Amino acid sequence: MPLLTVTDLTKDFGGLRAVSHLSFDAEPGEILGLIGPNGAGKTTVFNLVTGFLRPTAGRILLAGRSVVGLRPHAITRRGIARTFQVVKPFPKLSVRENVTLAAFCHEAARRRAETLAAQVLERVGLQDKLDSRAADLTLGEQKRLEIARALATDPRLLLLDEPMGGLNPREVNAACVLVEQIRADGVSVILVEHVMKAIMRISNRIVVIHHGEKIADGPPGRVVNDPGVIAAYLGTRVV
Amino acid sequence: MTRGSAGAAVLVLVLAPPLLTSNPFLLHLTITVLLWTLLGAAWNLLGGFAGQVSFGHSTFFGVGAYTTMILYLKGGLAPWYGMVLGGMVAVLVSLPIGLICFRLRGPYFSLSTLAVAEIVRLVALNWEGLTNGPVGLLITTLPRVGWGGRTLDWESKAPFYYMIAVLALASMLATYRLSRARLGAYLLAIREDEDAAESVGIDTVRAKVLTLALSAFFTGLGGGFYGLYFRYVDPDAVFPIALSVEMVFIAVVGGLATVIGPVIGAVFLTTIGEMFRERFLVGHLIFYGLFMMLVIRYLPEGIWGGARRAWAKRP
Repeated sequence: MPLLTVTDLTKDFGGLRAVSHLSFDAEPGEILGLIGPNGAGKTTVFNLVTGFLRPTAGRILLAGRSVVGLRPHAITRRGIARTFQVVKPFPKLSVRENVTLAAFCHEAARRRAETLAAQVLERVGLQDKLDSRAADLTLGEQKRLEIARALATDPRLLLLDEPMGGLNPREVNAACVLVEQIRADGVSVILVEHVMKAIMRISNRIVVIHHGEKIADGPPGRVVNDPGVIAAYLGTRVV
Repeated sequence: MTRGSAGAAVLVLVLAPPLLTSNPFLLHLTITVLLWTLLGAAWNLLGGFAGQVSFGHSTFFGVGAYTTMILYLKGGLAPWYGMVLGGMVAVLVSLPIGLICFRLRGPYFSLSTLAVAEIVRLVALNWEGLTNGPVGLLITTLPRVGWGGRTLDWESKAPFYYMIAVLALASMLATYRLSRARLGAYLLAIREDEDAAESVGIDTVRAKVLTLALSAFFTGLGGGFYGLYFRYVDPDAVFPIALSVEMVFIAVVGGLATVIGPVIGAVFLTTIGEMFRERFLVGHLIFYGLFMMLVIRYLPEGIWGGARRAWAKRP
């Protein structure tokens, strides 16, 4: 059974249809790339799956159980964690406190939540920044902090919204290694990303959306050569 | 300093004033400061920790005051019990207000609390069967309390002083406990970023409604004490916007999300208010306002927050 099943998902904002009859699955243990031109509806899909927006129509099942209508915190507790495209750390709190708050999700005792937070921060390579204020981190570090915070909620599925945007090539490389490590630890990942080299390298499968509709779904090598995908990104020849 | 000696020091500080002076003006000033401490601390639970700026806390104050007065005048229930019930009624009133107003965020939340407070004030003004309308409610005699042949002298300030001292300490203790609890951590997360707080599994609505209830409870107790102490309430005395705003000022000037802040805010604002009133018969509020602006400009973390920072930076 797929971990996440999205069926016929539709979202209207007034007269604008941002997501239109979108269906896709995410299998356990895979990295699923979700790509499309700017404004294609990728972030809206994330907001629908994580409960920040309510779908106009369609079904979203996590391991066979519907999560439609649940508030975001309840969906997190069911096992879907996310990061934000524009980072949203708790800026005035320390790195340790940022992640401890997330560890409280399944661990009520502060001491154990803090231990868990320290372990997760080590996994993402922020073990030297425990007592820094989140606001004082570089963008790359803040993106790692967000991933750590999401991991500390012990998710089954992790939704990463452009974790590599704005990073330098070395940081992008490190982020790829991190995402592959997360998959190896048994967490499935859906990745929205514009850094094509990265997404081609680490995705098991890619779903392409354009104007809120799915236009391709398959392994990376096949998807990039799909004429529909090329047309969506580059436009069609007029003459 | 150990816990025990700190407790003893607090106890001495609390017991001392009525033993040192029987000057009614000084005791009245101390009672006023402690009442404002209680109210500032109550507001601070929600405003300081969760960053939810309410301009409508006079609602809970007035509800507490009226509950105490009405239960005593119409039901004969001693006002010190009425005070606790007043806090509980304020909690009940806070629940629907929370569920409505917490749908909004930031300035919109603040404005909605202001609107609700005005509605409640107008209801109190016009529901004459319950509140006696603009005429207000007056307690002429307080119940006799005696033990071993002695009776409590309600004309002295001492019994009121001890009552409000206990309430103010309770509110500070609650603040301290909240700052150590998981809920306190959740509130800081909500203050920092509400979406991010939801995304890590925090039920933000539940956390805010719970905190509002706690804040309303202490504010309602303060209202009940006000009724008992002044023996008179009317809608303009216990439901004005100015009261809500003063609570905000005390927490902000003292230091948001701190235990000590509201005491310092209450001391400063009460004494400075009195001082300006004495010096400048006309327009004393202008100087009061100027003082507020200076504090907010130069000590954005409040007096206690600024002092703590300076202490941490000392060479």
